[in-house]
Formats: sequence, structure tokens, C-alpha cells
Amino acid sequence: MISLQRVTKTYKNGVTALTDVNVEVEKGEFVFIVGQSGSGKSTMIRLLIREEDVTKGQIYVGGKNLAKMSSWDIPKLRRNVGTVFQDFRLLQDKTVFENVAFGLEVIGKPKNVIGQRVPEILEYVGLGDKLSNYPDELSGGEQQRVSIARACVNRPLVLLADEPTGNLDPNTSVDIMRLLDKVNRIGTTVVMATHDQAIVDAMRKRVIELDEGYVVRDQSRGVYS
Amino acid sequence: MRLEYYLRETAAGLRRNGIVAFAAMSTAFIALFLFGLALLIARQFNLVIEAWTGNVQVAVYLTDPVRDETVTRIQTNLQELPAVGSIEYWDKAETCAAFDRLFEDQEVFQEGVDCEKAIPTSLRINLADPSQFDQITAALGCEAGGTTQEIQCTEPGVRDVSDYRDLLDRLTAITRVLSIGVLSIAVIMLASAIALVANTLRMGMFARRKEIGIMRLVGATNWRIRVPFLIEGLVESLIGAVAALAALFVIKVFFIDQLRGQLQFFPLIRNSDVLAVAPWILIAAVAVAVIAGTIGMRRFLDV
Repeated sequence: MISLQRVTKTYKNGVTALTDVNVEVEKGEFVFIVGQSGSGKSTMIRLLIREEDVTKGQIYVGGKNLAKMSSWDIPKLRRNVGTVFQDFRLLQDKTVFENVAFGLEVIGKPKNVIGQRVPEILEYVGLGDKLSNYPDELSGGEQQRVSIARACVNRPLVLLADEPTGNLDPNTSVDIMRLLDKVNRIGTTVVMATHDQAIVDAMRKRVIELDEGYVVRDQSRGVYS
Repeated sequence: MRLEYYLRETAAGLRRNGIVAFAAMSTAFIALFLFGLALLIARQFNLVIEAWTGNVQVAVYLTDPVRDETVTRIQTNLQELPAVGSIEYWDKAETCAAFDRLFEDQEVFQEGVDCEKAIPTSLRINLADPSQFDQITAALGCEAGGTTQEIQCTEPGVRDVSDYRDLLDRLTAITRVLSIGVLSIAVIMLASAIALVANTLRMGMFARRKEIGIMRLVGATNWRIRVPFLIEGLVESLIGAVAALAALFVIKVFFIDQLRGQLQFFPLIRNSDVLAVAPWILIAAVAVAVIAGTIGMRRFLDV
């Protein structure tokens, strides 16, 4: 599903964030990317949605070579790859329903599809009773659920999560991890960048550790360190 | 659904930057007004030039009744002169039609004047070399030199010859100076209008950077993101265009129409002339919006 082949990323300011990274992720896998701040986790996420271009090497997502993808095809890629961030990225002036609907609306989905899928996915993430609440009326965990709902409402092949529990307390984090696990179990490939040791240790999933841009460990059913 | 989405976004955008949008619209208005004004000034002077000189440097008026052989003979003779560029024969019908067209709103000319009798036919000449005007007077046996416009000639069938070289030159020069002067102010104003419209778009994009970021993440196409802003720019410049057209009509009614009937042999622009500049103003407005869109969104063009 995801394949990074000898990927090197050097930013314009000369900083090399990733060096010669080789990673294969199969369809339906759940993968943690761990490492300290600045180890290149976020860069990897950004490369996978082509928010950044690789400097060297090849990246394939769902069989498509990202380097050869024209800018016209990037939206198509992103429709197949859901993204979740630490800061939720919800629109404060829209309700829960509208926030999730927005994700479908702006890719031109018809109203009847939106009206059907949005309540469905919100029910799935456990917010079936909060459709008309605004983000500031929700707890952090609930807000992250909304953002996961938005990322999943278009049924992506891959879900990328960049520190999704970074702003949450341990108990809420566990709830979010249960949800991500649930999303993974219906066949979505999940790649999650984190430095939350407790979570990684509890989940016992595949762990890829980055250190200063190098892959220093790739272990199935791994722990944080 | 899609249209509704764009309209909603556009309306929200205009509301959000009310004052900046107003600045953009009013600048677009002034710019397009001056642009239209330059076109109307040119039109007005062209009417005068046509009325006074028929748009030619030399007119050879023929004595009534005109015989075809006379026309052919004089035309052939003149055509052989190296100074002559082009010759056109205006018969009674053509001359009177032009007269009616130029002075249709000046009743004094229409009533009591039998055009067919009053107006001579003419050979209208543009010179290949204006300095060689003497060749024509010589060929037709006219009085040499002199500054009068109606030069008497001995050639049979020729009533007189009018030398419009100076008049045409001067009128053309005045037209050029006035319309180019106004046009260059219009161009400067158009540039400011572009800058201001681009600025409203940029502010709108900044205000909505979070939404735009999310749109990108979920895979909205570039056009989906940009079109509401492009429409916003278009609406702003089109409002300016409509106001500019209205202002031009006001000018026409309150200034030009006041002169109507007071100036003899001075044709004035009419509603149809103002309407004729409308497409140009609209084209300029669309150009403003498109250029402003390109500039304003350049930074946001990459995915």
C-alpha cells in the first residue's frame, strides 16, 4: 500500500530530514512511526500526502508514484489518504456535522451522499448524539474523534495520523487508540507518528523508529524503545 | 449545488472584507469610467472630424448637376498624380446618408433643407504625400496658394476644392492628446484596481487559510478552492463596470445633451455611442478580475 524506496528529503534550508529511508507497509497494516522531535516523523507524513516532494528516491502510495504525479492528481491522492493531526484542525464556526460534511462538500460529493455518510461515520466514532454541537463545546478527545470522522468519511485506503494523542490526557488517548484500531480493523491502513511511549507499548503493533532521519529499527509487534 | 456553494462563498467573502472590497470596487469604477471616457472622447472627436473633413485630407466638390463622365474623367486624371493615395466618390445618396447620420438630432438641419439640392457630391481624396497638395490644384486649374479652404478652380464640373490637411491634422492631434491622456490615467487607475482587487482576494484567502488548509488535506481541487475567490474579484470589478457605465450615461445626459441643438455643424455622441463602449468596459473589467486573480492567488497556486 505504501512503499518508500531510498527516500531522502532535504529541505530548502539545507536540513536533511530523512536519509535513505526504505519502508514497506502492506494493505491493512497498523504502523507506528516513533522517534524524538525532529527525527523526521512529520516529514514522512508530509511526503506521503505530497505536501513535500522527495529529494531522492521513490514513494508509492496505492501503486502510484508520488514523484511522477502531476499536480492535477494530488487531490485524488489526498482523497484516498485521510489525515489526522495533533491540533484537530476543526472549523470553529461549523458544527460537528458541518465539519465532517465540509470534507465531502469540497470534493463535490452530492448532498444525498453527505446526508447519509456523515451521520453514519459520526455514529461510528461515537459522536452520534453531538451532530449539532460546535467544536468548543466538545472535549479534546471528542474533537479528535470529529477529525478522525472527517478523515474517514470518504473511506480512504490509508489513514495518516501525526501525533493524534499529543494534546490528550492518557485515558482519552486510549479511547482514540481504540478508535484508530477499529478503523484499522475495517481494512484501513493506519500509519501513526507518535512519541507516546505508553500507547506504543500497549498496542504491540509494528514499530518503525527514526533517529535523525535514519530508520534505526523496524520491528513487528514492537515496543517504543 | 455547486453553483449555490460558489455563490454562498462569494457573498460571504464580500461581506467579510467590506471596506477593502469597497476600495477595490470604487477604484475599479474610477478606472473603468476613465477608460470609457477616453473611448467616448475619441468617439466624439471622430464624429467632429467626420463632419468637418469627411475624414479626408482633400475634398473636390462637384458642380450640380453631376455627369458620370465628369466624375470618371476627373477621378482618372487625379488618380494619375503621384501625390494622390486614394479617391472615393460620394454621390448624393451617400453624402446625404452621412449627413443625416451625423446631424440626425439637430432639427435645424433636417427641416427645410433638401439635402439632395443643398449638398454637393464630392471626390474624397487622401494624399500619399500631403506636401504635394499643389499637384491637385495644378491639375484642376485652381488658384495657386492662398489659405482659404474653398479654392476656386477652372476645371469644368469642379465647384471648388477644400484643403482639410491642416484641420484634419489638428483635430487628429487634439483627439490623440486628449484620449491618450485620459487613457493613460485610466491605465494607472486600472493597475491600482488590479492591485486592490488582488489584495481583497489575498485578505480573503488569509482569513480563510484554515479552511483552505483543510480543503487541501481532504483533496479539494485547486479550482474548487480558487473559484469562489475568482468570482469575488469578478463581482467587484463588474460592479465597478456597471457604475462606470451609469456614470458615462450621466455625463452624456447632463453635459453632452445640454449642448445638443446649440452647436451648428457639431455632431454629438448619442446613447448608442455610450452603449458601444459597454463591451470594452466589460472586457476591461473581466481582465482586471483575471489578472488580479492570477496575482492575488499566485502564492496559493501550488497545492
